[in-house]
Amino acid sequence: MEGSSDGVIVARVLRGDAEVFRVLVERYRDRYARYAFHMLGNREDAEEALQDAFTRAYRSLSRCEEPERFGAWLFRILVNRCRTLGSRRGRRSRTFVVDEVAILEAAEDHPADRNAWREEIDRALQQLRADQREAFLLKYVEDMGYEEMSQLTGVGVSALKMRVMRACDRLRELLSEVHSA
Amino acid sequence: MMKDIARELRAPLSPPLSASFNGRVMAAVRRMPRHSRFRLWSRLTTPRTVTVIPLSWGLLAASLALFAIIGATRAFDDVRTATKPIVTALFPSSRVPEAPQRVQFVLVAPDAKKVAVVGDFNGWDAGHASYQAQHRGGGVWSVTAPVPVGHHRYSFVVDDSVWVADPTAPRVVDNDFGVANSAIVVQEQK
Repeated sequence: MEGSSDGVIVARVLRGDAEVFRVLVERYRDRYARYAFHMLGNREDAEEALQDAFTRAYRSLSRCEEPERFGAWLFRILVNRCRTLGSRRGRRSRTFVVDEVAILEAAEDHPADRNAWREEIDRALQQLRADQREAFLLKYVEDMGYEEMSQLTGVGVSALKMRVMRACDRLRELLSEVHSA
Repeated sequence: MMKDIARELRAPLSPPLSASFNGRVMAAVRRMPRHSRFRLWSRLTTPRTVTVIPLSWGLLAASLALFAIIGATRAFDDVRTATKPIVTALFPSSRVPEAPQRVQFVLVAPDAKKVAVVGDFNGWDAGHASYQAQHRGGGVWSVTAPVPVGHHRYSFVVDDSVWVADPTAPRVVDNDFGVANSAIVVQEQK
């Protein structure tokens, strides 16, 4: 079944062969784990969101209107789960004072090192507002067009463009501060 | 700079998800009811080898004979029941069919972009125009819609993807998908 299309696998699961769902899990887990990690900022929450998305997708599989586009449907569920978990995490973390520059400077053990640069990006990403981070990831990392993003998120194209622009401005600002320090 | 950032972020998660992730998802999947929407159709349409035992033909013939006898006796009943609609037409009952009642559904969902009500009264159709909730402010969504008199199951669908049972109503498990729906009893207003 590994080489079968999403539609073929979905049809077989709907006939009662639940074990074949594993092929879809294997197919999408790594790519979508990356998105969940960038949105939520830690592996535990990312795994929780992704596992939740897969189980919700299985439970509602008969309502997947385009089985051949199962991946896109699953991604939509994941985006919603990340929003929910992100808002819950946001409520937890509001008791902490966030000193962005101090956090970013503290991460700068070896600025020339690739891992340090990556850590700086991850930290800067988490400083963005959730809606701006979501728009930035969909546009630049998932490589989506604005129309597709709009269908996925339910947000208008002009609002999405604004979010992406502000996310870019903020990332430049945060990462420039680190480099100029 | 944005392209550099995007290139870094497109790199696979390192280290990747553990191998046990698949197992955890599949364990959760196995705890849920299996889908069976097409099981009967599949059994009827999928080619398979059938072994025929001679005795089974005898049993089949005996069954057919039995059904023929039962059918003949029922024919008399059919004639009698066929006259019922004529009697009803000549002497109509004074009872008027109960009209659907207006029911208000309310859900508090501050993060929702869209909320719809689905149930056995609208064919579980999240796109049904009469059951789209409106945002009343403060995260409160509501819709008042017609529901026939009787017992019904229903749920909210948030943002076209998340099923949410009504937190203010009793729950009942849907055996088809294992989803906890809400239960409602609609009575005719006096």
